[in-house]
Amino acid sequence: MSKPVDRSTTGEPMTLSFGPQHPATHGTLRIVLELDGETVLKATPHLGYLHTGFEKLGEHLDYNQYIVVTDRMNYLSPLSNNFGYALAVEKLFGMELPKRGQYVRVIMAELSRIADHLIWLGTSALDLGAFSVFLYGFQQREKLYKIFEDTTGARLTTSYTRVGGLLRDLYPGFENDVRSFIRDFPKKLKEIHTLLTKNRIWMDRTKDVGQISSEYAINYGYTGPCLRATGVDRDLRKIEPYSSYDEFDFDVPVGSNGDAYDRYLVRMEEMIQSCRIVTQALDNLPDGPINVESHKISLPSKQETYGHIEGLIHHFKIIMDGHGIQPPVGEIYCATESPNGELGFYIVSDGSGTAYRVRVRPPSFFHFQAFDHLIRGGMVSDVVAVLGSLNIIAGELDR
Amino acid sequence: MSEEQTDAEVVEPPEPIVIQQLRERFSDHILTVIDQRGELSVVVDKDASFQVLEFLKVDFNLSYDFLVDVTAIDYSQMEDVLIEYGYARYMVVYHLNAFLTNERLRVKVPVSEKDFTIKSVVALWNSANWLEREIYDMFGINFDGHPDLRRILMPDDFEGFPLRKDYPLRGRGEREKFNFGRENV
Amino acid sequence: MGLESKLGDSFITTTIDKVVNWGRKNSLWPMPFGTACCAIEMMATLATKFDLSRFGAEAIRFSPRQSDLMIVSGRISIKMMPVLRKIYDQMPEPKWVISMGACASCGGVFDTYTLVQGVDQFIPVDVYVPGCPPRPEDLIDAVMQIQKLIGDETVSVARMAKREEISQATLG
Repeated sequence: MSKPVDRSTTGEPMTLSFGPQHPATHGTLRIVLELDGETVLKATPHLGYLHTGFEKLGEHLDYNQYIVVTDRMNYLSPLSNNFGYALAVEKLFGMELPKRGQYVRVIMAELSRIADHLIWLGTSALDLGAFSVFLYGFQQREKLYKIFEDTTGARLTTSYTRVGGLLRDLYPGFENDVRSFIRDFPKKLKEIHTLLTKNRIWMDRTKDVGQISSEYAINYGYTGPCLRATGVDRDLRKIEPYSSYDEFDFDVPVGSNGDAYDRYLVRMEEMIQSCRIVTQALDNLPDGPINVESHKISLPSKQETYGHIEGLIHHFKIIMDGHGIQPPVGEIYCATESPNGELGFYIVSDGSGTAYRVRVRPPSFFHFQAFDHLIRGGMVSDVVAVLGSLNIIAGELDR
Repeated sequence: MSEEQTDAEVVEPPEPIVIQQLRERFSDHILTVIDQRGELSVVVDKDASFQVLEFLKVDFNLSYDFLVDVTAIDYSQMEDVLIEYGYARYMVVYHLNAFLTNERLRVKVPVSEKDFTIKSVVALWNSANWLEREIYDMFGINFDGHPDLRRILMPDDFEGFPLRKDYPLRGRGEREKFNFGRENV
Repeated sequence: MGLESKLGDSFITTTIDKVVNWGRKNSLWPMPFGTACCAIEMMATLATKFDLSRFGAEAIRFSPRQSDLMIVSGRISIKMMPVLRKIYDQMPEPKWVISMGACASCGGVFDTYTLVQGVDQFIPVDVYVPGCPPRPEDLIDAVMQIQKLIGDETVSVARMAKREEISQATLG
């Protein structure tokens, strides 16, 4: 007769320092695990390994310069951050972009949502041992890089938005490129589905792992796909539509279980919904200007700057140190639905060319905070699965 | 509609229900109410901050159950704000969101340097834990009743509070001098 | 040479240095110290389109003890610097370092209290890659520069001692 294995250990709990240099920590996360055998008794995250001083910089850079900094917050989807920040400053001014500008921003934000989820998919699958998904994901992402580069001039750090508009309008072949991407992408995503969704190993590693109930998720400040995986239907694009999101028809995928597998399914479906939004935006893309018609805020065209004295003065006033664009005194909080969740900017203005205080509400900060709750009682190998499913970006976590 | 009526409406817009309820309960502790750019802010006395937030969270009709963000501001270079709130240098800012009605509310609490402790809200929201640690790390404000108040972003042996206005952007030489023998790295 | 003409076509003569360097430079094992945006471009370099394995450097090892090329890609904060140094120290000789991107090389756009203004103050760097972030082609170029550097190395004891000396002087 075989005896059941006694899994309890009698010794002291073992402390394991996981990270900051570890393949699954995606850079700079560190978790100190207290283990009993392979069971996690307690997980204490340590952060700050990528603290860069973004909020302090916000008090020293002017409003348009800060857009460069927002690129480097969530570096998987810089366009979404540019978008969120520009929207916040525009709210401070109390102005709205022309329709075309809003639509272009929506297109770019949704494409970058796809790009973000692709990297998340690739790396979280890579951490669990599925290397081919990483390559499949990057193949698609390279196509998006091409579109981003042609539009903004950079692959990754795009800095595409400006306060009151955009860097420049879309290039002539943009619509064709995007449409051909949107045409192919669902097929490629289906290939990834066949690799993972019903894969026995993938399901065993992610189902019922890192589970969180909706009550706890709300209490911990969860937003975005991680919150929706618990069954809460909250998407800022629906409940507080900004930048014409109310004109698009799309669904918000919601999970039920709140585990790593549901977070995976929610994100996979979000990519398809983003494709829908992009298609609608391209179909109805209005003509017209992309920038607000105010030379106090948006730069005049090159012809005007070189050819007319007014244009030159406006240009000078916006660019020169000590002038710049100056919003009225006040404070605003503006949140957008970034790929990871609610990305909020709280800006306090004292009426000068630089903000008095810039506070960023990073979604990852809240997701990582509940890590102990998610992993307690799980196995060491689940740490990697949970960390991957949360998609914690150190750049916005530590700021 | 006569002109007099429109004038009357403009002069006295009804206060939002939240504010009415707060005034009813905490009349002495509500310092200012600001309605600006469609965002509602309430400045609350520090003694009542916890009670106000608890009421906002627990009250069935309001149920601001989602703590969006907690942060702080150093107002030492904004003279008018300093004067208005009795030279309280810092302001702790809570952003709340009600899930059902999707209304947002900002609660601001002045904290002066003389009495540098404010009651922690970790008992109400788990998410406040790290946010308050970050404020402690960046501004040095203490939170009474916080379970684990220590530095979060900066190293444990760091001196100074970076987001204070008197702390220089480029630091005080911390980035050149190194203690490589630091334990716990 | 004379020896080859005696022994016939199936023999070649060369120096130990050449053989060792040939082996080393065509099978670099990078240790990606990726912290921020540059790490994403580093991932792109390793992925399908750019494919770093064409240069024999695709065997990414996250353990410093198994690698000989450190790619520092991303911002290094004062909290991270001791970790970086510790990992550098754990790498066995011979080792090379690429400082990828503006932040690792000089602090980049982040001239703030918490960011180390160039990792070369604390570890010796062989190749710097400009850009914020650099394109994958730039990183590939840097790997090729490292290969060129390795070609000039020698395995003799005296040279190794000298290398150690330089490294100590940099670290201070």
